[in-house]
Amino acid sequence: MKKITKGLVALGLGTSLLLAGCGSNGDSGDGEVTLELFSNKSESIDTYNGLIEEFEKHNPNITIELEAPPEAETVIKTRLTKDDLPDIMSLGGNATYGELARAGVFHDFSDSEIIGEVQSSYVDMLGQLVGSEEEGTYGIPYATNANTVIFNKQKAEELGIEIPKTWDEFIAALETAKDAGETPIYFTLQEAWTAMPIWNGVAGNLVSDDFAERKNAGETTLTEEYDVVADRMLELLDYGHADNFGIGYSDGNSAFANGEGVFYIQGNWAIPEIAKANPDIELGTFALPSNNEAEENDLVSGVDVVLTVNEDTDHKEEALKFIEFMASQETAQQYIEEQKAFSAIQEVFQEDPVFDGIKVNFEEDRLTSFPDHYYPAGMGAENLVQDFLINQDKEAALETLDAEWDKVINR
Amino acid sequence: MVKKKYTYLLMVIPAFVIFFTFHTYPALQGIFYSFTDYKGYGNWDFVGFKNYLNVFQDDRALSAYGFTFQFAITATILVNIISLLVALGLNANIKFRKTLRATYFLPFILSVLIVGYIFKFMFTHLLPDFGKALGIEFLSSNILGNPDLAWIGIVLLAVWQSAAFNTLLYLAGLSTIENELYEAADIDGAGSWKKFWKITFPLIAPFFTINMVVAMKNFLMAFDQIVALTGGGPGQATESISLLIYRGGFEGGEFAYQSANAVVYFIVIVVISLIQLRVLERREVK
Repeated sequence: MKKITKGLVALGLGTSLLLAGCGSNGDSGDGEVTLELFSNKSESIDTYNGLIEEFEKHNPNITIELEAPPEAETVIKTRLTKDDLPDIMSLGGNATYGELARAGVFHDFSDSEIIGEVQSSYVDMLGQLVGSEEEGTYGIPYATNANTVIFNKQKAEELGIEIPKTWDEFIAALETAKDAGETPIYFTLQEAWTAMPIWNGVAGNLVSDDFAERKNAGETTLTEEYDVVADRMLELLDYGHADNFGIGYSDGNSAFANGEGVFYIQGNWAIPEIAKANPDIELGTFALPSNNEAEENDLVSGVDVVLTVNEDTDHKEEALKFIEFMASQETAQQYIEEQKAFSAIQEVFQEDPVFDGIKVNFEEDRLTSFPDHYYPAGMGAENLVQDFLINQDKEAALETLDAEWDKVINR
Repeated sequence: MVKKKYTYLLMVIPAFVIFFTFHTYPALQGIFYSFTDYKGYGNWDFVGFKNYLNVFQDDRALSAYGFTFQFAITATILVNIISLLVALGLNANIKFRKTLRATYFLPFILSVLIVGYIFKFMFTHLLPDFGKALGIEFLSSNILGNPDLAWIGIVLLAVWQSAAFNTLLYLAGLSTIENELYEAADIDGAGSWKKFWKITFPLIAPFFTINMVVAMKNFLMAFDQIVALTGGGPGQATESISLLIYRGGFEGGEFAYQSANAVVYFIVIVVISLIQLRVLERREVK
């Protein structure tokens, strides 16, 4: 019997050690502080490591450990349940951020000077994610992305296509491409999510920003407000290739890189992938002009990285110091250059010539948010939109979207 | 005797403890949370059977059930026919028997995700080219992009991959049959078709039962094949229940609701397996 007890004790100890190993404490006495920086992006690990080294050089008594696990959103939610949030967090500007902020675990930056140095539209976007019940600013928008129309510069020049400013001009450009025997838009709709950059681009300038809030309050429906959006989605579909629903994202990237298609509706994140498939391709970008009033057409852009600090950390002063360092002009510039992203910090611009067409949107703060970031996550909008594009039944599709939305928020 | 008992205990208890901590306990927790409005973190309240009532009214869940059963039944039948045929072939007196057996088992060793990406490539590029060259219309575009045909692509992948394991089980079954039986049948003048129906099939009946149950259960829980090929699309045409539970529960933040869905599904699978066992065992040779 003794042996069994011993075995069990050993096993028990082993498990508890294993579990205890997951928790950590950042104090090491004598004024030295170790902070944990949690990031949800595996793409930015190298950039962060470089920036941390720079920061530690100026602040020798602070050590920062970067943690960028896979499935980061799930990890951070689990750590919230364990009351073990990291000191500094670099998260995506999405529904998860909103949920965490509503849980009241982030530092309130309302009085911080940094907020004044950030483009205000992004601060508003984060505020909308948190919802109107909570007052305060719980994160610094840092890096941003853009939902664009990418185009093949060489082909556009051959066809004499200028960057379109309105919906009619865009359709005219697509016609020109079609008449010349080119594939006007290269769709990759085998993967449902690739329908969303198009949906967001079209809806971003046609549906007002507070739609989700009014929809949640039961004041409006998609059937009422997304009618034109749905029509224009179907109109775009006429300009695809023979197998719009048979090609996925990565196949689409390489096809577009190798000269198939004139336009490609995707986020800025697709550009490095296309360039990988064909380093010689010359690309340009512009904001999808879904509205017929040129001045109504803004760039759909979202917060890719939010920086925030744990409200209950023991080393808030040091953590805020790191945020200040990150928000400085030089650091922000270095970050977006390495990451091919855009900065939410004022006066910090992405200079890559690919983005010439949308630079003005950042300079003049002509930005609007991703409509679907405010849809309830459980409804799985992307598959419903993909289904709509396949079956092309506008009324039925909008009704389904409405019904799924209501179902999710009511349960 | 006493000492022997301890040895058994010593072997069983660690397995039991580990199984209980990492399998039974989380399952019980899932059942518990299915009666709450837990989001995966934060505060929660008991909501009684609300989640369960919602599951039964959820069209998306119902269509997921429809797809999963259609897929699982087709795949189970195909896998059993194919693997029984392959096993009979491999059990016969043929050249390179061992090499062939190893080759036929290969698909099982490969990861489903990797095989899935290879199949996806074939459906996207090879098959359409083939279809265009031969002028076959329904093959000339990617079948994974067609809501009516996508499930066939998933069946093909699932059958190709899991036939290997079932073949192995049938081979084990075939090796238990004594050769004298066939010799006696030869003397009586039985043809090979008769030998199969009167000797082989009845004698491997227990293996048939287990193959049917295992295959059905695996296909009902289909997940990675679908993630690799269609991600549940086009639309929601190939969304299996496991995929729906994962999507809604982890990505959609509906942890409690999808736990209820999972509990319902668990009961469905148990019931189906029990019925299968009862029915199939009855026809086994006792």
